[in-house]
Order: sequence, then structure tokens, then C-alpha cells
Amino acid sequence: MIEESPPNRLRRRVCLSAAAWAAVMGAAPRPRAHAAVTAADHGRVDPPLPVPDVPVRCADGATQGLAALLRGRATALHLMFTGCSTVCPIQGVIFQRVQELIPDQRERGIQLLSVSIDPFGDTPAALAAWLQRFDAHAGWTAVAPKPSYLDRLLELFGQGRQAVENHATQVSIVNRRGELVFKTQQLPAADSIAELLRKV
Amino acid sequence: MAPRLRSCAMHARSIGLRVLLTGLCVPLVGMPAPASMARAGTPDSEALRGEALFTGKADLIGRIYTHRVDLPPAVVRCGNCHAADDGPPVPRSLAPRLNQDLLIRMQPRRGGPASAYDGQKFCTLLRRGLDPAFVLISVEMPRYTIEDADCQALWRYLNESPGTK
Repeated sequence: MIEESPPNRLRRRVCLSAAAWAAVMGAAPRPRAHAAVTAADHGRVDPPLPVPDVPVRCADGATQGLAALLRGRATALHLMFTGCSTVCPIQGVIFQRVQELIPDQRERGIQLLSVSIDPFGDTPAALAAWLQRFDAHAGWTAVAPKPSYLDRLLELFGQGRQAVENHATQVSIVNRRGELVFKTQQLPAADSIAELLRKV
Repeated sequence: MAPRLRSCAMHARSIGLRVLLTGLCVPLVGMPAPASMARAGTPDSEALRGEALFTGKADLIGRIYTHRVDLPPAVVRCGNCHAADDGPPVPRSLAPRLNQDLLIRMQPRRGGPASAYDGQKFCTLLRRGLDPAFVLISVEMPRYTIEDADCQALWRYLNESPGTK
């Protein structure tokens, strides 16, 4: 019985989010920036939006830029945090099923990326435990952004949901150039994610 | 022989007493326990079953309605998101606490007209995601394949036997 945001509120957040994104990119809103409104909901993102190159800490403790992590691979990305008992376990199961559906994901240059929205709580050890919990194989990575960069990721992937307790459960598809090209509906089925990844 | 006869007579009296007591008790078996008994904290089997389903001690079958397959029971427990009555809160969850006040009191829900749940409407919500005002709930809440008896058990746990929690 999770309450849905009233549509008007969502639209307002989406607009604010799009404007904030434009500001982050240092560009005045262009006519095509309206596409970002669609992107903040779900469906194809046209034009594709570059994912900000923010520093992230990986489950192995290493820190690297998000752009480098994304470049050269088709990526399915979701937001989560390891202390979440509500929707995150479902998100984990969905990614687990995607891995089962694409056993040759490494050969195909496909990866799954769990991005924590709780950078203070999600230590590398917690992220590693998250991956282990869902029997993650190679090609599924978990990262947490440096806290000061979290908002930049939420602006792009957060669907206007800023609260940790009510985070977006969509899956974002990022192409091999590190651009956001598709956003699914909330908690998408694994087979639909696998199909999208094969097409990117 | 005398002791044996006495013993038989005592045994017969004992059986007679048991039959009499059983005869008195049998009509009570099929009757629902008075609400006051449940409220006084006497757990009944239905409420206990409801509690087990709510907390995950017993499995629920559920899936996201856009999916073709069920999710593992561990991730579709009610208690993953909802607190029950005056039980402990679920950390970092915005899902409402499920208690009599939320379920039975007439009130607007999800932008719809004022409505209240009853046992049947509660089951409809669990199975099809429609609230009592026929507003569709979030896609993020699983839809459940649940028997009438288990549905009733959950309803009873959340509404009628707070003393058992």
C-alpha cells in the first residue's frame, strides 16, 4: 500500500529536475531539453543525456570515475541502498534474474550497476555483501558516490524522488558512450531489461 | 473381585463425566471466540496464521504485476514495508502502518473518495491492487496469489486481534 505521488506533484518535480539538470550541465534550457521531462518519467531518452562523471567508491574499496565505469559497455543501472528492506530486495532479485537471462553478458559487453543513494551507510563491505546476497557474478558492480555528488545522480536517475525512503525503482539504460538512453517503468521485469541491454 | 468391580464402576463414572463434559463443550467449538477474548490477548489460530504470513514465517506468493513470474517469498513479505498495529516500525519505509484505524475508518485514499476496507476489499487489494475506492495502488506493491483463508487470517491479525501481537 505504498502511496503514489499525485501526478501534478510528480510533473512539478520532473520539471524542476529537468531544470536542475540543465543548470548542472551549464547550459541554458534548449527546446529539445523538453525531452528530459520524458526521460524523467519513462521511455526512450532523446536526445541521450550524458551521465555525470562523479567519483564513486566500488565494493572493492577502489574509487573511480563513473564515466570510466560506464564507457564501452551497455549498462543497466538502478538506485538502491543496502539498509533498505522494502523495494531494494526486489530490485536485487530483478538484477539477479537479468544475469541468469544473459549468461554471456561479459562477452556482450553488458554490465549491471547498483548505485547506492546512501553513501554514508553503504561502505564497500556493505556493497560487497549486497552483491553476495544476490549471488552476483562478474559484470554486476555496486558503487556509492561521494556524498557531495549524490544530488547530481538523483537529478538524472531519481525520477524526482529525493527521499531515500522513496527512491526511484526504475532501471536506467546507459549506452556504451556513457549516455542515458532509456528509463524503464518502476520495478521492470528482468526479461524486459535483458531485451533492452541486448539492443543497446 | 471387589476391587476390580469398584474400579470398573469408577471407570464407568469417569467415562460418563467425560461424555457429559464433552457434550457441553462440543457446541462451543464451532462458535467464534467473543471479540473480547481476542482483544484480551488470547491468540487464536487464525490470527497466528495471519501473523506468520505478515512476518514471513509462512510464505506468501506474490509478484510485481508487470512480471511473468513470482518473486521469492522473502522479498514479498508484508512486514518488509509495513508495520502492523503497534508493532515496531520498519526503518526507512514510507509504507503506512497497517492497523484498524487505517483500514476500517472511512477516509480518502490515493486521491479517491472516502472509503474503508472490509475483509473482502482487503483481499481484492492484495490480489488485484485495487483499493476500496477502486484506485490502483503503486506498481511497487506486489500482487498476491492468496487463498481466502489466508487472506482472512491476515485481516484478522491486522484488525481483530491486536492483543496477539
